[in-house]
Amino acid sequence: MIHDFTYFRPGTAKEALSLLAEHKDDCKVICGGQSLLIVMRQGLVATDNLIDIKRLEELNYIKFDSTEGLRIGATTTHRTIEKSPLVKEKYGVLVSMENRLASIQVRNWGTIGGNLAHGDAAGDPAPVLMALNASVKVGSAQKERVIPIDDFYVDLFETALEQDEIVLEVQVPVPAPKTATCYSKFNLLSSDQGIISVGASVTLDGNACKAVRIALGNAAATVMRAKKAEEILIGKTLSDALLEEAGQAAHDECEPVADIHASEEYRRHLVKVFTKRMVKQAWEQASKA
Amino acid sequence: MHNKYSVINTPVHNVDGIAKVTGRATYTFDVQLPGMLYGKILRSPHPHAKILNIDATEALKLPGVKAVVSGKDTLGIKQGIWRRYKELCDEQVLPMDKVRYIGEPVAAVAAVTEEIAEQALDLIEVEYEVLDAVYEPFDAIKKGAPEVHEGIERNLNVTRHIEWGDVDEAFDDADYIREDWFKCGGQHHMCMETRACVSSYTPEKRLTVYASTQAPYYTQGLLAGVLGMREGDIRVIAPYVGGGFGGKFELDGAMFCSAVLSMKLFRPVKIVFTREEDLIASKRRTPMFYYVRTGVKKDGTFCARESRVFTNGGAYTGMGATALYLTGFFHSFPYKWRGYRYDGYRVYTNTMPSTSMRGFGAPQAMFCSEQQIDWIAADLGLDPIEVRRKNGHTPGYEVPGQAFIGSCGLDQSLDKIEEWIKSRGKLPANRAIGISAAGFMSGGIFNWFDTPYSFSSAVVTINEDGTVELHVGCQDIGQGSNTTMAIICAETLGVKVEDVKVHSGDTDHCPADLGAWGSRQTLMAGNATKMAAAEAKRQLLEFATAKMGPNIVYDLDIKDRWVHLVSRPEKGLDYTQVVKEALRGKEGQRIMGRGFYTPHRKGMISPAYSYMVQAVEAEIDEETGKIGVVNCVTAHDCGQPINPIGLIGQLEGAASMAVGYGYLEYMPFEDGKMMNPNLVDYKVIRAPEMPECEVIEIDTFEPEGPYGAKEAGEGLTNPTAAALGNAIFHATGLQMKECPILPEAVLNAFKEKREKEQEKKNA
Repeated sequence: MIHDFTYFRPGTAKEALSLLAEHKDDCKVICGGQSLLIVMRQGLVATDNLIDIKRLEELNYIKFDSTEGLRIGATTTHRTIEKSPLVKEKYGVLVSMENRLASIQVRNWGTIGGNLAHGDAAGDPAPVLMALNASVKVGSAQKERVIPIDDFYVDLFETALEQDEIVLEVQVPVPAPKTATCYSKFNLLSSDQGIISVGASVTLDGNACKAVRIALGNAAATVMRAKKAEEILIGKTLSDALLEEAGQAAHDECEPVADIHASEEYRRHLVKVFTKRMVKQAWEQASKA
Repeated sequence: MHNKYSVINTPVHNVDGIAKVTGRATYTFDVQLPGMLYGKILRSPHPHAKILNIDATEALKLPGVKAVVSGKDTLGIKQGIWRRYKELCDEQVLPMDKVRYIGEPVAAVAAVTEEIAEQALDLIEVEYEVLDAVYEPFDAIKKGAPEVHEGIERNLNVTRHIEWGDVDEAFDDADYIREDWFKCGGQHHMCMETRACVSSYTPEKRLTVYASTQAPYYTQGLLAGVLGMREGDIRVIAPYVGGGFGGKFELDGAMFCSAVLSMKLFRPVKIVFTREEDLIASKRRTPMFYYVRTGVKKDGTFCARESRVFTNGGAYTGMGATALYLTGFFHSFPYKWRGYRYDGYRVYTNTMPSTSMRGFGAPQAMFCSEQQIDWIAADLGLDPIEVRRKNGHTPGYEVPGQAFIGSCGLDQSLDKIEEWIKSRGKLPANRAIGISAAGFMSGGIFNWFDTPYSFSSAVVTINEDGTVELHVGCQDIGQGSNTTMAIICAETLGVKVEDVKVHSGDTDHCPADLGAWGSRQTLMAGNATKMAAAEAKRQLLEFATAKMGPNIVYDLDIKDRWVHLVSRPEKGLDYTQVVKEALRGKEGQRIMGRGFYTPHRKGMISPAYSYMVQAVEAEIDEETGKIGVVNCVTAHDCGQPINPIGLIGQLEGAASMAVGYGYLEYMPFEDGKMMNPNLVDYKVIRAPEMPECEVIEIDTFEPEGPYGAKEAGEGLTNPTAAALGNAIFHATGLQMKECPILPEAVLNAFKEKREKEQEKKNA
């Protein structure tokens, strides 16, 4: 049963941030609640104050600029991103990720900002955004700052957000030429979170890998980069042996834990399989780009 | 199929469909009574412990708390649904002195709000003496294992033996013998509506109970037993029930605790289980370890089978004794064995009790039997369909000492499935089709409840405007039995479905019936309804014959509200007019027909059996072990279908449940604690994972069923996991002996297979 709380629904971001400053010691921010309500119902999270920022229209936007890249406001729903022609054209991988994020009902109500702030290592958007080299703009009543998503996740369900800060915006840079990004997750029900997930972004220079970012979901306490796998790929041309080597590196460097859905070893194996698959897929797409 | 009927086998939407989809249907969850309190149950955190003391002083001080009860506030009667056998009545819903599984009720609170009741639980102090516990049947059966029930040696709860023919001689005749061990997991019923009950005891010493139950009469009888009341002083109302699947015909904690609290307070008390409570403290499909030894001739003729089963019974008997028998019986299905021997052992453990669930032990039995048959066929280079055809049941067959087979469409089912498989052509390398045959009972001939009432009964009353009141004791739990009964009544009486109002789910106003389990209602309650309607019709025709005055050798009938001469259908009378006039002729007495059904001379199991062959097409990702089910096609002999759209609903529902059992749903326990008691971690098939579920109806007529009908819904869960296992076998060569077939196990099996192949190469 959900513990009683005082519910606030500020009309502006400014108002939200001042409420947050006031209640920061005993407060949760809700922005869709598709993850938060589950843990509140389970009694894992109990708060006296709940600040609902879901209806802040000023943070509900998708913008694109050919130098700045993509800007998605925190209260934008998954469904809006999924259905955005702009996102589809410029960052197709975000649409395919959103397509498999939970159910339509969840996507209709859940938001990108709420998802990222929840800090779940099994969440879908973070590994894709990490592969895309995204950043998160956060703000408090005092100041705003931009955190590279690589630094946003600190530990299990813990982000770099201070107690008086909220996520304001996701920033995705313009991909370099000859770049493609792919994402996939392993699960038994297609609308579930991944038992593991892998996002990979490959930039080619001729036939060689010029740059690569590999992000692993649910393979450690936080979403993580598979940097050793990336190092192996840089400067090389595509071969089965290379993929095998990179997959093995990701297998070795991830830090999954066992649970009832998969053993640690099975998770490592899946990380390897999906790293190989996603790098290959992104590589092939980049070569056609 | 030519339809000689007016209503039967025409698509009829559920009679309660509109009430349900518009939210008008009142489930137990929705019941609100004046002065109603809310109950919550304190549950054991220990798998096995003595209750030394329960102190509710602090809980009772919390404002809003009205009462706290525990075992000592009850009569302490051990109950169970096997009332004929005292030793199998082993469960005190609020135990007096010890708990036997995590989640078992220890005390119950009633308070003015649910929140206060929940807070009060934390204030009840229970002193336990923790005892050694045991969780698996092979540990519990050992000498010196902790005793789950005092004095029960080796924790052996029930044993069952089935045997016919000279088994050893038949094995001697076999050219090839194969033996395998299998492990089948538990599964949760996962009803949309969790266990729920509102009990209201009044100073007239009567108890009214709104319950989410599959069998209101059982609930009435069981409550009377534990509360020391007369059955007739208890009224059980179950207007709408959000699913049962075999998990809701025993007495549960919501029913018992709300009744005890209400009797103490003379106020209505409502208890609704949370999803977690439902998962940890209801009951589950029986987990089974199966040893199967089968002997066959070189040409695939079956000689003998010998099987042993050890089931994880959990803490109490529940319906487990029946599941233990039925798994052994259906393990022989649907084949003719010269010799068959089965020994089943149900072992108590300190886990949530296991019980019946859709298929009643047969899905486990088929998972082991039907896979082994395919492996034997492969070992001998035989066609698995041909092997089944050679050995299958045929109409008129007698399972020695067990059952008489009336109608049987197994052979036609095999033909149709063979055609379908051919139509699929060549499949990609990682994909294959596996089949499984199966059958199931149409209601059990069991009366361990020991009631003098008939198995089913019905009353048909005709109003002056021709509308019909049909009172039945059978229970609609979402499967559509009220619609089925309305169709049978309308067909028999010659009226339209919309003329019939079905009254069920109320023990004060409906005749007794054993309820919705074991696929019994279509055949048993259907026969009772048909008999009641036929009797009412007889009274109408008596009057109409007198009025029309034909030669007495002519027959009269009613169809579509038209009372007519069978040989000259245009000559007749309006049904409503006949009803009105017949009433006058009887001094205003209602036209009323009564019907009942009690099986006789039908063997030990069931009056009739459905048959089916199912093909599952699956694809396997060799790198990850992931299984995808593409098609689940069933050739299905359920006798005469009553309602084709109801049948599709049953078929698809069964497929979702059985596919889930095959590769998804499982209940891991650690130290007696269920590790996934929520719908995030306990996986249930969702829409994107549903395979295409084509059904090919096989035309048969069952003489024992109403209008030739047999069961159509429960049995459909029997073949699926086995057929899936066979699909995996044919796609990969892997023999998966544990159900559910999880991807990690598939991957490990691949690894093992590659290592073995490597060893062979090296050697």
